Amino acid sequence: MALLDRSDWYDIARDTNWTPGYVPREEIFPPQLSDPYGIPVEQWETFDEPYKVSYREYVKIQREKDSSAYSVKAALSRSKFHDDLDEGWASVLKLHYGAVALTEYQACQFQARMVRFGPSPSMRNMATYGMLDELRHAQLQLFFPHELVSRDRQYDWAHEAAHTKNWAVLGGRHAIDDIMMCRDAVTGTIMVSFAFETGLTNLQMVGLSTDAANMGDFTFANMITSIQSDEARHAQLGSPAIEIMINNGKKKEAQQAVDVAFWRMWRLFAITVGIPMDYYIPLDQRHLSFKEFMHEWIIRQYDRQVRDLGLETPWYWDLLADDIENHHHCQQGGIWSWRPTVWWNPPGAVGPREREWLEEKYPGWNDSYGTYWDVITDNLLHGREEKTHPECIPIICNMCQIPISNRPGEAWKARALQLEHEGRRYNFCTEPCRWIFTTDPDRYKHHLTIVDRMYSGEIDPPTLDNVLTYMGIGVVSEGGRDGHDYSWVDGFRTQAAE
Amino acid sequence: MTDAPDLKPLKTWSHLAGQRRRPSEYEIVSTNLLWSTDDELPWSLSPDMDMNQWYLKYRDGSPLKHVDWDAFRDPDGLVYRTYNILQDGQEAYVDGLLDEHNASGHDAELSAGWLDSLALLYTPARYMLHAVQMSSAYLVQMAPASTIVNCAMLQAADQLRWVSRTAYRTKELSLTAPDKGFGDKERALWENDPAWQGFRELMERALVAYDWGEQFVALNLVAKPAIDEAFVRQLGQAAHRAGDGLLRQLLDAQQADSVRARNWSAALVALALQTDGNKQVLADWVAKWAPLGDAASDAFCAALPDAGDAAAQAKDEAEAFRAGLGLGR
Repeated sequence: MALLDRSDWYDIARDTNWTPGYVPREEIFPPQLSDPYGIPVEQWETFDEPYKVSYREYVKIQREKDSSAYSVKAALSRSKFHDDLDEGWASVLKLHYGAVALTEYQACQFQARMVRFGPSPSMRNMATYGMLDELRHAQLQLFFPHELVSRDRQYDWAHEAAHTKNWAVLGGRHAIDDIMMCRDAVTGTIMVSFAFETGLTNLQMVGLSTDAANMGDFTFANMITSIQSDEARHAQLGSPAIEIMINNGKKKEAQQAVDVAFWRMWRLFAITVGIPMDYYIPLDQRHLSFKEFMHEWIIRQYDRQVRDLGLETPWYWDLLADDIENHHHCQQGGIWSWRPTVWWNPPGAVGPREREWLEEKYPGWNDSYGTYWDVITDNLLHGREEKTHPECIPIICNMCQIPISNRPGEAWKARALQLEHEGRRYNFCTEPCRWIFTTDPDRYKHHLTIVDRMYSGEIDPPTLDNVLTYMGIGVVSEGGRDGHDYSWVDGFRTQAAE
Repeated sequence: MTDAPDLKPLKTWSHLAGQRRRPSEYEIVSTNLLWSTDDELPWSLSPDMDMNQWYLKYRDGSPLKHVDWDAFRDPDGLVYRTYNILQDGQEAYVDGLLDEHNASGHDAELSAGWLDSLALLYTPARYMLHAVQMSSAYLVQMAPASTIVNCAMLQAADQLRWVSRTAYRTKELSLTAPDKGFGDKERALWENDPAWQGFRELMERALVAYDWGEQFVALNLVAKPAIDEAFVRQLGQAAHRAGDGLLRQLLDAQQADSVRARNWSAALVALALQTDGNKQVLADWVAKWAPLGDAASDAFCAALPDAGDAAAQAKDEAEAFRAGLGLGR
């Protein structure tokens, strides 16, 4: 009496390529949806996923995982956790759910592209589980915030954000549509499974779950850990595809795909992960600075994975190191100043103690970013709150869709990164964003940033109210305010009194 | 803001707040989740880029029209969580079947003639089932509402379930009957044997039916019903006649997944028929595809031992399913 081991029959289940006879193979697998690199199908049949699972195991394991995640939530839903929750952490949750829930859902369609058009049967089977995983992640991250909408309408953005034209959403959609939704199966798996999931979502999930546990948000911590365990499996679709490309003379193409995707997602992740780690999470609950985290998890580990696969360290690695020091600090300043345009309540969180911590983690912070906050702090201390709201309109990067900014203070390295293409001038935040545009200008050239839309007539007239409405503010929920009602300036009052 | 909406507290997602009843878990986590249907341009890259053109042509340009595909609901109301509970139970049952029949020496009792039939008509099916898996995944990419996408997604997963179980049995049979070509000859049979050419032609052509509505008709109203009737039901009856209780019960278990597929297919047809013109569109596609389904059933059933009128039954049942949806020929 016995059941066979998975390894006894697994190879038969992934031996499902056949030679079509009624329809040409290239019609069933059009290159623009399947493999545009012309790698022979026998080469794709060598695809060997490092992590193997059967359907039978999958439904059992996933049932157990869900049972755990949902029961933790049920057990804790009557707790008082959300009653006196720090608004900094609430902002982490609102930002996270709004950015992530529907993105996970679109990823089902991306995985489905691999199931249908992947040239390797193994890839098609593994992506079937990947597709189910993404459904799980979308549904968990809709179900969990849903109960919070009765407390605060800003949680409605978990479902609605992706349907709005909020500036932050335009950036997310542009990147996700680019690397995930509008790529063939092969390029997509390199970009998403490897560069995005192996490279960056680990960062988000491992970091976030630790922070959540420190905050006492065990429902969220447990959910994220559970999601990460799925991600660790289906992210492994990427490396066998890269190996096959390298073995078939397509290293340059693989390298470009990885480098484009990593940079695109880095620009977003610095906002969704970096700002929370260094500003939104209350000082006493922070476990690592974003920079420490990036160096440990990305600079070291991702780079090693890239080179182990036979690719090169991305050409912009030095620029990334620089961006780690600056990008999220810039955007914390920008998002806080433009707080009425977002769906969460970003705390400024730069009181005396926080600044001391920032200076320690980012030497020179006080002489640069600190000077920006000095002005804001001074205005708040003197009752000039209205002066903390900027009246100028930022210039937006034509690739990442994020306001262009740089380190203030003496180290200010203002530079124009522009490109003239077919009579239109494009602005970029960094060299890699400009480089990505040049890899395929036809792909990107029509897109309008939120600011372009103010001048193109799409938002007409571009009054503040109209712009906010266009972005879903005052429609889905009220926009943001300082998450701590400026209490972080109190420390300076005390200092002044002393 | 002149037309600022009333931002009162919510009890559920704002998009579900208008309905009178409290939304179910299914509705909370399944409805209105696609962003590519929000604007005229599906994806926020250049309009003339391949992928925008593909979606504009094959999804938004489909002759099958409805003003609100998001109104679709899965009659079984499955979400990821409940799907795994359901299928973990079903798979535990299949494990039990396999274990029990292995213990009783079931395969050793099968006749040489029936083993030949299994090698010809059962184990090559993994190619066909995998093609259904791929085709279902195309619907996942292209369906115009998340509630439809989800049904197609679980349908794709169901196919991988049976690809896997068929592979399992292929290995097991190869141990009992090493001289029958189990695990060896399936591809050649799928590509060349007359019994499979109808299904192969049907699936290859269905895979390139790129209009999402036509894909749905070719797959869910023609190919799957033909597979259900000829392969699942008629082969199951042949197994019963041959004393192969295991295959009979495995195919019965497979049938349970097909019932769900038919449930959502019927619901989607019912929704589509709310729109004038769709009946003709669907009928035209059925007229185009059903003959391929019939030919597949004919070719497959002709190779069944003691088939009797298996082919006629299979074709009648598939036709009856469509007729029940108002789409009989």
